[in-house]
Amino acid sequence: MQKKEFIEKFKEALEITKSTIDENTPLKSIDGFDSMSVMAIIALVDELFSKRLTAKQLAEVSNIKNLMELIGSENFTS
Amino acid sequence: MRIEYYLPEKIFSNADLESEFPDWNAAKVEEKVGIRERHIVGPNETALDLALKASEKLLAAEDRKQVDFLILCTQSPDYFLPTSACLLQDRLNLKKQCGALDFNLGCSGFIYGLALSKGLLLAGIAKKILLVTAETYSRHMHREDRANRSIFGDGAAATLLDPEDARKTGEFELGTDGSGWRNLIVEAGAMKRKFDPELKQEQDENGNFSSPNYLYMNGPEIFNFTIENVPAMISKVLEKNHCSIEDIRYFIPHQANKYMLEYLRKKMKIPAEKYHNNILLSGNTVSSTIPIGLKDCMDSGTIQPGDKILLAGFGVGYSWGAVVMEINFQAKETGKI
Repeated sequence: MQKKEFIEKFKEALEITKSTIDENTPLKSIDGFDSMSVMAIIALVDELFSKRLTAKQLAEVSNIKNLMELIGSENFTS
Repeated sequence: MRIEYYLPEKIFSNADLESEFPDWNAAKVEEKVGIRERHIVGPNETALDLALKASEKLLAAEDRKQVDFLILCTQSPDYFLPTSACLLQDRLNLKKQCGALDFNLGCSGFIYGLALSKGLLLAGIAKKILLVTAETYSRHMHREDRANRSIFGDGAAATLLDPEDARKTGEFELGTDGSGWRNLIVEAGAMKRKFDPELKQEQDENGNFSSPNYLYMNGPEIFNFTIENVPAMISKVLEKNHCSIEDIRYFIPHQANKYMLEYLRKKMKIPAEKYHNNILLSGNTVSSTIPIGLKDCMDSGTIQPGDKILLAGFGVGYSWGAVVMEINFQAKETGKI
């Protein structure tokens, strides 16, 4: 999957409409980021990559770049 | 099968949530979690009181002396001992020639109650079982825990089961994974760890409130657990009962929260019109969500007598269970059985 496409799907899943985010945007800085957002990320990754990420792993993720690395960089193309 | 339920009078709405926690987005709670109101017990009200009210409602039109077994599912008993079901037998004035026991389960409780009942009924150990689920998670939550207070509601449901119900109850698929014990827990207050008023609250990596004295739930971990286990459980229970999704008239999963339930539905490819997802005015009442959903569907005509239905509970423990049954009840208007 293209990185750009993943970021779009990420925004959609977390219903981010107001701000522009890129792969370096700190997740905690996203307006309204809470445990429902974490659940939305789990659902997104399960749906797109059939991969299960634990809450602990996600706690170490600070931005989308980290998230893509966690999922596995081989899954993404620039 | 007859079911009645009771929700305590006091309502805690999203508007109340917002006035207590001005920075908490209550509109999001309704939209994502699917809850607008929960019922909460008063300061002197316990799960046993709720169990009593639900049971009285159910037994009003019954000969209560026929009940020969009482099973109470709760994680909030009045006392460590004696058994709350014994107290309930007395308060309901059931006959003394009646078995009674409590069992401690949450979200999977009703399914396990049905499993126990099927065994007792088919073995001839009991002829008329009163199965009650009753819970007061509100008593376990900290005042500041806005997240959990948004989700959980108090309530009880009472179900009457006889051998005909047991014969129409199909095969069960049950499961347990105790390694998830830490993710939904009230750590202190029982035998392992004393309640200590000095213990401070903390927040975990996801901002969940964490205090050994109060309810702690790691939402994302629970979500992972359900994704991992629920679709597999549904497949297995369908297989055991020699049927497919198409054969099932209606699915009632434990009503944890709208978002999780909708995600599971899509993952399992179950059509929305066959899938119960409604806790708008009751919240997550733990072991009572399934019987409450079942009762509402029976009353509304969504489920008709003889329909093949699938019930699935999953959560705290971790514990899970599902069953397929041919629902056996008398429809309201037509009296059709």
